Amino acid sequence: MTTLLTRDQLAYALGMTGQGDRAAFRTVYLATSAKLLGVCLRILADRQIAEDVLQETYLTVWKKAGSFDASRASPITWLVTIARNRAIDRLRATAKFRKSTPVDAANEIVDDAVLPSETIERDDDARRLHGCLDQLDEKVGGVIRTAFMEGATYDSLATRENVPLGTMKSWIRRGLLRLRTCLEQ
Amino acid sequence: MTEPTDINEDEALAGELALRVLSPEAEAEARLREANDPAFAVEVEAWNAHLAIFAADIAPVEPSQGVWPRIAAGIATPANDNARLTFWRRWAVGSTGLLAASVAAMAILLMQPAPAPVVVSAPAESGVMRVATLSLDNGISAMTIAYDSVTGALYLAPTHEMAGDTRVPHLWLVMPEGGVQLVGAIDGTNTSRHNLTGALSGMAGQAVSVAVSMETPGHTPGAARPDGPVVASGQMQQL
Repeated sequence: MTTLLTRDQLAYALGMTGQGDRAAFRTVYLATSAKLLGVCLRILADRQIAEDVLQETYLTVWKKAGSFDASRASPITWLVTIARNRAIDRLRATAKFRKSTPVDAANEIVDDAVLPSETIERDDDARRLHGCLDQLDEKVGGVIRTAFMEGATYDSLATRENVPLGTMKSWIRRGLLRLRTCLEQ
Repeated sequence: MTEPTDINEDEALAGELALRVLSPEAEAEARLREANDPAFAVEVEAWNAHLAIFAADIAPVEPSQGVWPRIAAGIATPANDNARLTFWRRWAVGSTGLLAASVAAMAILLMQPAPAPVVVSAPAESGVMRVATLSLDNGISAMTIAYDSVTGALYLAPTHEMAGDTRVPHLWLVMPEGGVQLVGAIDGTNTSRHNLTGALSGMAGQAVSVAVSMETPGHTPGAARPDGPVVASGQMQQL
């Protein structure tokens, strides 16, 4: 049911959504909801909660589409950022009710992750990302990826990797800057 | 591998904020910085663009059939109101610009969600009634406000979201030209009524959004900038 749109078509539909065009909004939804649910599900690991956050995400998109500027951001980047931030907010809000961090469960989720080699290798973005991740220390690339995919904080990453908090911060800060330098080339 | 010897602190902090690895306290501080420092906000946006590339590794999952109808219901408005609301929304979006976007982005979750937000209807007063529902960043309602731009009467109805917080909630107006204006400290637990006078009453009639910041007890922030984190915000709409 996913509609395939070019970046320009999606940017146009998002722009029209910003002007209150419901049909354009529906087009944006059809073209991007599967990707955004994938993002939410990766962080929340519960389909019902992920779909709930997906709903919130599109209501936010409807409200904020007028501020989307196609000359400054790619439409899918803009949408992924909203979905991911919403999912992380939900994750952290519900985590307060949990008695302990489900480290084992989290590790299982990591194991279930789709391996890069199994996914859209031909996709330019994925290839570029993996090329740059390969230039990082494997462990550093891994924790940055986990932070993105699961919304994990410094604290939880340090606990999982069993390293001091300062070490984790240093890994990620340096890794991020190296990654950015590579992606900008 | 060779390590960069000099780390640009701002660039790294913007990256940490975009990646969401910071502790809640550090994140709140960085969000404030993002709202008040356009150059820093641009850095965060650039990091978001870079990091979103990770999504290329995430397999799409088709949502259930029931999701779209719920979204469609969420954006539904009475048919005869469409044109006016669309106009209002365009005007609001066009005029609030970066600051409103930043204020919205800065809204962070600091309080635990309550199961059932309270729905409060606006009191029947004369004049042009403006209303807003202030939501936390997770979409949960924190407060409903109603404002009569003729009499200056302001009615605040918080949900349970701010109850128990030891900090003092302060109400802010987000103006069309982009600045913010302090209204004052408010009761975050019980409904309250106020009367705005002078310049403030006119500004409240023009504000495009309202926001709530949490300030340290005993501390009053400057009129044009919150010192504590902004925890909730919502657009003002005419009834």
